Amino acid sequence: MKGPPVWVAAVAVLVLVFLQLPVIVVAMASVSTTSYLTVPPVGFTLDWFVEVLTDRDYIEAIQTSFLLAFAATAGSLVLGTAASYALHHRLVPGADALASFFMAPLIFPAVVIGVALLQYYSLVGLRWSFWGLLLAHIAITVPYVIRACLTSLAGVKSELEEAARVLGASGFNAFRLVTLPLLKPGLVAGAFFAFITSLDNVPVTIFLLGPRQSTLPVKIFTSIEHGGVDPGLAAISTLLILVTGLALVIAERWVGFSRFV
Amino acid sequence: MSRLSGTALVAPLVLVLAGVFVGPLLVMLPTSFHPYVPGQGIGTAWTLENYIEPFADSYYRDVILRTLWMGFIVTAIALLIGYPLAYFMARTTRTWRAVATLLVMFPLFLNLVVRSFGWIALLSNRGVINTWLMDLGVIEKPLRMMFDMTGLVIGMVHIYLPFMVFMLLSSISRVPRDVEDAAATLSASPSRVFFFVTLPLTAPGILAGCTLVFVLTISALVTPRLLGGPTYKVMSTLIYDEFLVKLDWPSGTAFAFILTAIALLVIWGANRVARRVTGGAW
Repeated sequence: MKGPPVWVAAVAVLVLVFLQLPVIVVAMASVSTTSYLTVPPVGFTLDWFVEVLTDRDYIEAIQTSFLLAFAATAGSLVLGTAASYALHHRLVPGADALASFFMAPLIFPAVVIGVALLQYYSLVGLRWSFWGLLLAHIAITVPYVIRACLTSLAGVKSELEEAARVLGASGFNAFRLVTLPLLKPGLVAGAFFAFITSLDNVPVTIFLLGPRQSTLPVKIFTSIEHGGVDPGLAAISTLLILVTGLALVIAERWVGFSRFV
Repeated sequence: MSRLSGTALVAPLVLVLAGVFVGPLLVMLPTSFHPYVPGQGIGTAWTLENYIEPFADSYYRDVILRTLWMGFIVTAIALLIGYPLAYFMARTTRTWRAVATLLVMFPLFLNLVVRSFGWIALLSNRGVINTWLMDLGVIEKPLRMMFDMTGLVIGMVHIYLPFMVFMLLSSISRVPRDVEDAAATLSASPSRVFFFVTLPLTAPGILAGCTLVFVLTISALVTPRLLGGPTYKVMSTLIYDEFLVKLDWPSGTAFAFILTAIALLVIWGANRVARRVTGGAW
């Protein structure tokens, strides 16, 4: 087998470096002893990490972000898996149309969903409520669960579940004990995408937060907007880099989920 | 299982999406046909002004054209640098492919705001690149790389390149090697094999990747806002300001629908082209 030409490999390496560039810069700036961003860092300190992790505003934002992401992922998984199962086995009329409908929040510009919800929630009194935010996050994360779930279901033989039924299992038990374990890799991948998408979201979330509420990315976003580009921001960003990297490695080890991209 | 239980499985999600996706969009529609009354908000009269203004007023027209231009440039660059990377990943050893996959996926999952922050640290007047270039004596005054198209394009290419690479990768991986070998055996040069065999066979992947990157780029909010600043606007940042700064919801709503229409039109157009090219097989 002949490999790719050398110049292609060289370009590929350069592009891979370009992709890591902002990550490296942020991580390096976060340990500098200076109060402004410098790369390479001057000296070495972890004070900035201590500073952001003892800041009440940041802690509350982190809590809100994770609570929201967990709840949205759980909601998306339950609703998405149920719907995918019905779509896959064509238990409902118009399954194809429904599938496109479930994917639609992915196609619409997020900022449009954000402003539409802002206006709608103001009318029905859900603005600034956690439940309103949660429902919105379910809508924007559910496409990832559905896609991963439908892909996995396509690889599961429906005869297996039928066999369980014939042997006397109830419909739900047959699904829970036979199909669900086979779907696990797909569900983990879908959950991972959903979680990251929720944790990451700014363009929808920013329109729905109350004056004293914030999520981590929205907090970083508004800090930068107000001109605060300092090592504290680099530190909190570095923490996100570490968490993301760790999650990626764990997910990859657990299910080898790069197959689902 | 019966049709009834199927309905029971789908209904909860349908209700949620009807409530927080379809409903809000429908509620927003009439707003875009009302005038904005300063101090009061949404007026009661009916008007088409909100849809005419974006095309009649040169300021708004510039924002629309700038958004489309940005989408075009970002897509072109992502394709140009993404193709060699995807090609390398498709044709290299398993180990290299796995390493490259993780390196492409990592920035993809990293928070958008963090990535934009990284580019600010690199591109701003007192940022890494300018500091280094000035220390080396290459330039005397800092280069302006933010709050204009340069910064936007660099940041956006970085953010959407992984989507392009994965689209191209799956397409290139599906090209049968036999076909390339056959062409080579018939004495085609490597570049001829690439341009007349590999490239045409990956056309569907290229089209899908370009559509995705273009639509995502023109819809993006965070990066244009952080790297373009408050004054260098694109459509999504304009919508953001109309809603949260100017409180002019009617005009912001009309703009939101124009942006949506452009995005849907691009997707629809690309689907049509794809169907014509592949005769419906793709």
